[in-house]
Parts: sequence; C-alpha cells; structure tokens
Amino acid sequence: MPRVFITGLGFVTSIGNDRPAVTQSLRELRHGFELYPPFLKPEIPVKVVGTIKEFSTNSPDPEDWTFPNRYKIKRELLRSMAPNGLFAHCAMLQAVADANLSEADVSNPGTGLYAASGGSPYLTHHHHERLQKMGVMRCSPLGIVASIVGTLNFNLVAAFKIRGASCGFSSACASSAHAIGFALDDLMLGRQNRMFIVGAEDGNADAILPFAGMRTLSLQTDPNIASRPFDAARDGFVGTGGASVLVLETEAEVLRRGVRPYAELIGWGQASDGYNVAISHPDGGGSAAAMNLALHAARVNPSEVDYVNAHATSTLIGDISEARALRSVFKESLNQVAVSSTKALTGHGLSLAGAMESAFCALALRDGFLPGNAHLTKVDPECAGLNLPTSTVSQPINIVVKNSSGFGGANVALVFKRAL
Amino acid sequence: MPDVVSLNSAPTKPVLPKPFAPEDESALREALKRCSPSTFEAAVQFRKTSNPDHVPAVVIGVIERFVEPDLRIKLKEADDDLRLIEDLGIDSLTMMEIVILVEDVLQMTINNDELRHLRTVGDVKTFIDCKIRGLTLPKPTKFIPIEHIGAVMPTQPPFLFLNEASVSSTSASGKYKISGQEFFLQGHFKDNPVMPASIMLEALGQLAVLYLLEGAPTEPGKAVSPQMIFFTGCEGVRAHRICKPGDVLSLSIKPKRMKMPLATFEGSIRVGKEKAIIAEEITLTFGFVDAVNAPVAIESNVETAAKLPAAGETAADSLPLRVAINA
Repeated sequence: MPRVFITGLGFVTSIGNDRPAVTQSLRELRHGFELYPPFLKPEIPVKVVGTIKEFSTNSPDPEDWTFPNRYKIKRELLRSMAPNGLFAHCAMLQAVADANLSEADVSNPGTGLYAASGGSPYLTHHHHERLQKMGVMRCSPLGIVASIVGTLNFNLVAAFKIRGASCGFSSACASSAHAIGFALDDLMLGRQNRMFIVGAEDGNADAILPFAGMRTLSLQTDPNIASRPFDAARDGFVGTGGASVLVLETEAEVLRRGVRPYAELIGWGQASDGYNVAISHPDGGGSAAAMNLALHAARVNPSEVDYVNAHATSTLIGDISEARALRSVFKESLNQVAVSSTKALTGHGLSLAGAMESAFCALALRDGFLPGNAHLTKVDPECAGLNLPTSTVSQPINIVVKNSSGFGGANVALVFKRAL
Repeated sequence: MPDVVSLNSAPTKPVLPKPFAPEDESALREALKRCSPSTFEAAVQFRKTSNPDHVPAVVIGVIERFVEPDLRIKLKEADDDLRLIEDLGIDSLTMMEIVILVEDVLQMTINNDELRHLRTVGDVKTFIDCKIRGLTLPKPTKFIPIEHIGAVMPTQPPFLFLNEASVSSTSASGKYKISGQEFFLQGHFKDNPVMPASIMLEALGQLAVLYLLEGAPTEPGKAVSPQMIFFTGCEGVRAHRICKPGDVLSLSIKPKRMKMPLATFEGSIRVGKEKAIIAEEITLTFGFVDAVNAPVAIESNVETAAKLPAAGETAADSLPLRVAINA
C-alpha cells in the first residue's frame, strides 16, 4: 500500500495566520485569547475567545468583511461563503503554495478534498430571520450554500475546481480527524493520490455560545488562564474558530514533485463510546480503543510513541476520561510519552480541532519540538501519572499520536511519523 | 415559443406604493449601500412619486452593483443590447440577487418564469418598466443563431451578411465578421480588400428583413411573407470608417414607421466603439400572408433547426452556409 505524507499546511488560527507565526506561538507557548467584544454584555457569563486577528467577519454580508489584502477573493466566490469559508479559503491558498502545487495538481480526478465545519449558525440565523421577515421569495439565493453544514466543501470544491473525491464530515469535535482518517484510506487504496483536508469554524458568538447551555465553557475572565487542560482549576473550554488545511500525498506524488514532506501519516483508528449523547465515557474506553486500533494499523508499539497531542479541551469530565484512556493504552511506558494539549493556546476549534492539531503535529515532527502544556500549574490528581511537560521541549521526535473526540462518543486517533 | 404567450397574456396590475416614510428611506439606503448615489436618489424619487421615469436608473444601478468592477465600464456605454450573461458575466444566481434587490427597492414581485426571457439590459429595463406601468410585456429579445437565420431568410450565402442576430419587438441587432473570403473582395479593391458600403447597407437591410420575419408585430392570423419583402429606398447614408477583413460589424436597426406595405428603419453599423456607417432611413416593402398558409417548408426547417442540438451539422450541409457559420 502506498505511503502517505503531509506536504503542505495552511493556517488561519487564533495563534497565527501563517506557518511561521503558528510555529513561533507553539514553541513559545503564546496563546491567542482575548476578551471577546460581543461577550462584554453583562448577561453573557462567558468572556474569553481564541480570536482570529486581521479578519473581521461580523456582518452577514461578506462584502462587509475585511481580511488581509494579500488574499484577493472575487465577490462571485465570497458571496456564498460563511466566515469559516473565508478562513478556509485563505488557508487553502497557503497550503497550495506551501506544497508547491500547480493548478493542474489541484484540479484533476486524482485530487480530492474532505472538509469539516459546523456550518454557520450565524448565517443560518440571519437567513431564517430574513425568510420570516421579508418572505420566502426574498431569501438570498445563496443563503443555503453559505450556511448549512456542507458550506465548506461546496465552496472550496467549486473555488479550487476540485475534481476528485469530496465530502464533508460531521462528528462534531472529531470531524476533521475523521476526514484525515478517511483520506488516508482513500490514498492507501489508490482511489486518490492527493487529498486536501480542511477544518474550519466561524468561532463567533453563534458558534460558541450554545455550548454555554451545557455548562462546558470556561467562565474565566482572565485570558491567560481561561484554557488549562489537565489543570485542577480548569473550568471548561474556550471557543475558537479559524481554519487549517493539510495536503496529503502518496509517496509517488512526493517523489514525482520532489517536495520535502512534513511528516508521514502511518495509521488511524476510530471507536465509539456507546454511552452518552454528549458526555465522554468516564473510563475513556472509546478513546483507548481508537488509539489501540490506530497504533495497530500503524504497526507501532505504544512504547515507541514520543508525543501525544491530546484532545483535552479543559473540561472537567473530558480531560479525566482521556487521561484514563492514555493510562490504559500506554501502561508502563506512560511516563515516557509526553502529552500536551495545544488547546491551552488556541482554544477548542470544534470541527476544526483535529485538522489544526494534526497540522501542529506535522510542524513538531519536522522542526523537532514538542509543545508544552501552557497554563498548567497544578495537575488534576485524576490526571496523575501523565508526562505533562509545562514548557516546549526542542528535540527530534519520531512518532506522534493525535486524539480527537466528538459528541456521541466518537473517538479518532491518528498516528504520524517523522519523514526522513 | 409557447412561453412567450404566457408572458403576453394578462397585463400586470400597476404597483400602488405605500407612503414613503423616513424609516423606508434608511432601509432603502441600507439596501442600496453598494450602489451609486444616483441609484439611491432615483430609488427615493420613484418611491416618493411613483414616476416610472426613475426606474431605468435604479435598474441599471442595481445591475452595475452586481457586475465585476472591471466589466462595469460596459454599462457606462449604455447600450441596451448588452447581454447579461455573455457580456456582463451575470449567472442565474446573480440574476436572482439582482431581482431580489430590485423587488425590495421598487416594492414589486417578479416571478421566476418572467425572468427566463430576459437576455439583455434593454430587456430588463423594458420588463421592469412595463410591470411598473401595468403594460403588457413586449415579446422578449430572441437570439437567432446562424442556422435559424439561414432557415428563415430569403437571402442565402454567399449573399447573407449576418452571423448571428437578436430580435425583439422594438429592435434588432446582429453581428457579421468580414472573413476576407467574400467573393466581391477580390475586385473591391485590387490588392486592397475593403467591404463595399453598398454591401454594408445590404447587411442592414437583411437585419431589417429578419426583424420583419421574427420580431415585427403582425395582424392577427397573418404572417410576413419572406417572398414579399423588397428594398424600396434609403436616405441619409454616411460612411465613417473603412471596414476590412477581420473587422466584426455590429449591426443594429430600429423600426421608425410601419404601415402596410412600407416599413422604415434607422440603422447603424459599428466596429467596436467606432461608427462605421449610419442610415437615417432604410425602407422596405412587405406583405402579409395568412398565418396558416405561411411557407410550410421554411417553417418546418425552423422547427428542426431550433429543436435539434445537432442542427448545425444538418442545416449547414451546404458549403456556403458552413462558411458563414465558421466566420
């Protein structure tokens, strides 16, 4: 079966809008949190968000949006985008350039695109309100494709003239990790030779605030300590949006094009908790099963793993559940594998999380560092035994596991390897 | 064209706008915030006075707002023959955006099936104007490809000087590219092929013939007979530009008077933006035949040419017509 490599990355994230900025933030543990102006109202108890800088998308009309002028986007493309579509479009342009892909490399039957976003609750709300107020026939003709869950793939496939496989993934916070896993299958089965993986979220009030009803959002008012996975004082996750793109290619394509890959994707696994619609299984059984399957598929022993980029979102139940899963998978080698959650820096990107954090893993593997756990001062006793470095360690690493979990108890694990 | 019938059926009711309140003005300003100030002004005037004279400025202003900036210059040159899709790059979704904004601003409702026939800027203006005034809608502009032109025209290659044409009830326009293969260019002039002005006048006459056959209003139960159209005279002809092989002639005619058996047109030919020739008056005679007795052979050709996608191959079997198609 063909080997599969990551050859290009693109970022619009709370910790940076290009690869150098993101790498620097990961190395120096600089977070991307701010007090979010729409949350300043006293009736909103949530205050902190991982904000996207340089972009302004707080209007339902894309022509009101502002974004860095290095991106030129025609109205014809912009008009059907949600904010997450704009972020993703810009990240796609970066990834295409980063992987040094020609137009023909992007648009051909062997190149596909898998995407994941939660759609745009913001635009859905806007268009439904217009429908109610102005009447059915005065709805924007592009309201649907700009706001429903597939908006990301509809827009990107058309804009970049993708002709291979395309679809969207919807498993909440595991979505874009699922997209990577199924893309790996397609590449290994020879169905495609190149895949774009895109994760993106609006990250605005309409996308984030509904989680407040579940009491899963941090109510911290200090951006410096709001997101602290595995910490005893954590009180929920901090929302974020943005986009990340990975280019996956078969070895033959990597050799043909003569590009230097970031890392190799060597296996994946998924398993479900079968437990609760929204709460992860207290024992982390599904997450552990996903990791075991992924390691088995990658032909890697747990003791060979250098680093786990955890799903840990800084919620009370989720972090403990993942800690238990890690204990059951790594057993006696638990203290040798470094574990960190970069959500301490970015916030939780929901559908975007899996792709964004996999891209972080690719950077870590190529540049030889593992990001530490920011804002971790007192480890929750329930998470004891994990090797949780609090600062970034610069050292070559060989094998990385990336965990993602979503609503309904969906768990995905991905295994990456340093590309030699 | 059975769709035309439904369009022409019943006159639409005149719109009775509500009194124009200050909050309407701010809503209007918001709706038109990406349009030119003059568009907003025209919209305000229309909403206050219901005077349909303000409608064209609103419609053009709204179309302009949805056209890519580098194409907007075309609208400034303001000819009603500008085609929405081909010239302005407006796709069906953009057309819906235009319609929704026009509906919103002019407080009117446009049905989907009314839209399908709007091909040019002029069609849109006329359509909106008729709706506002409560008039019966005219026949929409009809694009006529070379196969159809060849099928209906009494003139045939090598003496047919139209590659394509659009005909409405009020005007016709057409294009002809001088290929350099025209037989008369061998002698006009020696080693210097120049399109004869008389032939250019002939081309305008042919467009007028096409208008009579395809666009002109007729008496009930009657049709214009292609065998009964002849040239009678022309006035005020001036040539402004030498036209040579490679030039694309843009022809247009408008009827000035029509009274059996005479039809008088004004006509002009441009090459790009340059005036090539104008004729203040071209007059043709024509005659009606009973519609049921309309020339059957030609009509059936029309049907074939219009229905079959491969009509180009069958209709163009004769060499001269194929030359004309490829021109």
